[in-house]
Amino acid sequence: MKITIPNAARPWVAVVAVALLAAPVSAQPKPDLNDATEKAMKAASAKVAPAIVKIETAGGAETTLVAPKKGGPPGPPAAGIRKGVGPTTGLVVSADGYIISSAFNFSNKPTDIFVTIPGRPQRLVAKIVANDQTRMLTLLKIDAKDLTVPDVFPKKDVEVGQWGLTLGRTLDNNVDHPPSMSVGIVSATNRIWGKAIQTDAKTSPVNYGGALVSIDGRVYGVVVPASNRAEGETAGVDVYDGGIGFAVPLEDVLATLPRLKEGKDLRRGLLGVSPQGTDVYNAVPVIGAIQPDSAAARAGLQVGDKITEINGKKVPNYSTLQHIMGPMYESDELALKVLRGDKEMEFKSVKLLGTTTAYVAAYFGILPMRDDASPGVEVRFVYPKSPADVAGIKAGDRIMKFGPAALPAPPPVANRAAFIAAIQRLAPGAEVKVEVKRKDGGKVETVQAKLVPVPDEIPEKLPPATGKKEEPKKEEPKPPLNVRADLGGQEEKKDDKKEKPKLETGYMTRTDEALGREYWVYVPDNYDPKVSHGLIVWFHQAGQGGKDGERMAKTFEDFAADNHFIIMGPKASAETGWKANETEVVVRDVKTVIGQYTIDRTRVIAHGQANGGEMAFYVGFNARDVFRGVCTVGAILGNPPKDNIANQPLAFFISGGDKDPLIKDIVESKNLLMEKRFPVIFREMKESGKEYFDVKTFNDFLNWADSLDRI
Amino acid sequence: MFTRYTLLTVVALFGAPALAPAADPFADTVEKANKKLVKVFGAGGFARLNNYGTGIIISKDGHILTVASQLLDTSELVVHLYDGQRMKAQVIVTEPLLDVALIKIRVEGKKIDEDSGLDLDFFDALTAVRRPPAAAGDWILGMSNTFEIALRDEPLSVQRGVISAYTKMAGRRGIFEFPYTGDVYMVDAITNNPGAAGGALLDKKGELLGIIGRELKNSLTETWMNYAIPMNAKMTLKTTITVKDKDGKDVEQEKTVTVSMEEFVTKGAGYKTPVDKTLIPLGLGGYHGIIFVPNILERTPAYVEDVVPGSPADKAGLRPDDLVSFIDGEPIISIKALDEYMRKFTRPNQKIVLEVRRGESLQSIEMTLGQHPPKPKVPAPKP
Repeated sequence: MKITIPNAARPWVAVVAVALLAAPVSAQPKPDLNDATEKAMKAASAKVAPAIVKIETAGGAETTLVAPKKGGPPGPPAAGIRKGVGPTTGLVVSADGYIISSAFNFSNKPTDIFVTIPGRPQRLVAKIVANDQTRMLTLLKIDAKDLTVPDVFPKKDVEVGQWGLTLGRTLDNNVDHPPSMSVGIVSATNRIWGKAIQTDAKTSPVNYGGALVSIDGRVYGVVVPASNRAEGETAGVDVYDGGIGFAVPLEDVLATLPRLKEGKDLRRGLLGVSPQGTDVYNAVPVIGAIQPDSAAARAGLQVGDKITEINGKKVPNYSTLQHIMGPMYESDELALKVLRGDKEMEFKSVKLLGTTTAYVAAYFGILPMRDDASPGVEVRFVYPKSPADVAGIKAGDRIMKFGPAALPAPPPVANRAAFIAAIQRLAPGAEVKVEVKRKDGGKVETVQAKLVPVPDEIPEKLPPATGKKEEPKKEEPKPPLNVRADLGGQEEKKDDKKEKPKLETGYMTRTDEALGREYWVYVPDNYDPKVSHGLIVWFHQAGQGGKDGERMAKTFEDFAADNHFIIMGPKASAETGWKANETEVVVRDVKTVIGQYTIDRTRVIAHGQANGGEMAFYVGFNARDVFRGVCTVGAILGNPPKDNIANQPLAFFISGGDKDPLIKDIVESKNLLMEKRFPVIFREMKESGKEYFDVKTFNDFLNWADSLDRI
Repeated sequence: MFTRYTLLTVVALFGAPALAPAADPFADTVEKANKKLVKVFGAGGFARLNNYGTGIIISKDGHILTVASQLLDTSELVVHLYDGQRMKAQVIVTEPLLDVALIKIRVEGKKIDEDSGLDLDFFDALTAVRRPPAAAGDWILGMSNTFEIALRDEPLSVQRGVISAYTKMAGRRGIFEFPYTGDVYMVDAITNNPGAAGGALLDKKGELLGIIGRELKNSLTETWMNYAIPMNAKMTLKTTITVKDKDGKDVEQEKTVTVSMEEFVTKGAGYKTPVDKTLIPLGLGGYHGIIFVPNILERTPAYVEDVVPGSPADKAGLRPDDLVSFIDGEPIISIKALDEYMRKFTRPNQKIVLEVRRGESLQSIEMTLGQHPPKPKVPAPKP
């Protein structure tokens, strides 16, 4: 009999062949491949089973659903996920009582952990030794000896197509029964930036912390939820049982075990650089920004350096850099080659750090005039007590040159964008020289100032932002429709259109036939393509898609006209609210609007309430080339915040009602952002639950939105 | 949700040249099984309730086993046989405790309790109920009309997977109430989708193992479950019935009732309700006498603050600062869970084993529960 065996099938065929040969040949005239494979799978499970332990926890937080108010509109969907209460799984990694498990199993910070070992009747009290924060693993220690340690499947032998079985202890309470099993294959290697093996065997809370096992009973890795888009112990749980599962190679786990045993959490190794553009796949790996006091800064890398080689590997694009850096830990060392201009430079043994000092934007204290064609930057407003004020800058002055005081002469400032770029290269505390042309008489003077961190203040009243003499239509704009303390909603009809707009204005709904998506845009009637407009992207609450558009447009009507803003609102595809994976299409809609109208890229804001606010956070962090501000009402951060980056600044305006049950978490979200040194404005609204802004907060928000281009 | 709509895995197992042909190619197995299954159409079609499902033929004259769902709440029940024949059907009996129903094909001119004269292929239910259960790792085939892909004579969708576990259903307490508390098959194929309920879970030779269940969430893991009620399903209930004693007074008496699939299919075909399903109303359960720490959080762990002197807890030797972690092997995650466990699963005079964390070790403590002391302020109602 001639047998053809495909390459990928080799490992299991060998086992099946063994299983078949074990039976007497004569008694088995017709070998059954299914039987043999099934038997081999059960044998594999049985071989690893003694090392698969049951973990039970007590106490800890339980993320619960926010119940809708009685009679009122439905509340936001679940804030985060609700953690199950059943047993979870762990894998023995050393005979003297060390158990590795998925950090997901402890995400609710249980007060007590118990481990049951197969074949041993006693439950044992376990202690958390350390966490591997890069691979979302937790090491436990129990007081036990002579545990069974599983065989490791070497990483180099892992091939796509090999059988993979996921084993867990959640379903069956009895650890002397076989562990729960799901069958699939290895789908890919080197996933999640080189940290995980992918499988199509089902993975879920049923087996997180358990093992992905080969058909011959060796362990590929530890099953974990994972996502290449988000970090944190619960990232990737949303696709459970979806045929996309991950396991951290056991070989890698064992390699880090000595460090974990010391009880120190393992953190990701950070270089501290950010790319110049956002297209990490095509763009050459040129450093766009360097975090202060980071590994890169200490090694002497500079903005503009082009990374050509890391650890002897060529780096054609930025994503290659991410792939190489992905698996690395704090204190790991890199050898880098970069091109600085035409000069090749080598940096040997760059030691990665576990944390980076957050980048803090430097601040001079002015608002610039917009749409200003003349050279230099005209000052629209000077923040009281800011470095600019102290240096004697006045509204109406024109800044002509700006640069570090160390330079013999400050370089000229061509326009607003150039000014913003110039200050982004400086840190708070930097001494600068500024050449100003005074408003009256045009006298040119050079003053000196010391930059400070961006403060958390909003000017109460702002002058117009364009040179044209425009009289505001009303002295005191009526509180808009959607804002509380609504004065009856008697909006005045505006039928006195003076000029005919060239582009379509007003409230418009648009649909993308091909994608089946829709969004609305509100363009103020006084739209003028020569005036740059801010853009507020409104993320509606769950279930409000397509319903709240006109109301929101009305809410912002006066502000949009007076301060030149366009408002738009994409629509979530599901009634239950926004999903993270809608970011890409939403950003496409936003970019369409940016392309059609004159949009000031320094004032593009993601704004949302509740579930919409969570989406605003997410989109803000994941489309940083587009958004400069995120404003939320009653929303919490779904994921840990990313770093503040010099060339892609983000400012936050966060608010919540003091009666909102989520208010603690909202404050916590604010604190997380402040730890990352983002400029954050926080407003807790009195006597308020889950409503939209009150009038005072709304006005603060409008002024914040209008001052996002502060320098 | 993504998971709910994962594509069906149709049998295409060994596309690559294999070592040797399997003795029972799935194609033959599936073709035979398909003749013993029907598509069921009934009530629904609004909200999230689908008006289609699946059923398993268990007699030659048209008894069909399916899930006791809202689908059956209609007088217009219709089944489609494998060959496309469209026939009317009628519910004969349902057993909510097993979540199953028996329906029968109605033939024009025949009474429902007469032999219908049909000669259908069927699964031998009595053999199936007596077969030993399958175990974790056994290969399975799931066959159902999931998502109503098949109409009339189109064959049902087939999924391949393995038994993940044969174990107690984890939905018995907490988030949702599911009456059946016996063992179920959990499988790794995404079998439980709209329309799949009532489908067949088969072993790889095509023998009937169980009935694919509804769409349910597992309260232990907060994930959707893929489960089937086994053909050997059995559950025992303790209940109290009120009987007259010799003086003619009403007294309560404990009674054990066993509900089994075997009884259901045997008696069901004889058109009788198999069991008396009067359930005991939940009382307070047994009394322990533990005073817990203030129950502030949803998941405040069951730490002992004190014990009532002379109470079962006192006699058993529980001490302040002990953490009650398990009762009779069941994990106790909070004070709330402990209260619920006591109420649902214990009675006065019952012996329970507590596993208690004291310092760094777990201790087993046996305790005989008592009667709840009368509440002082509420006057007892006069009989």
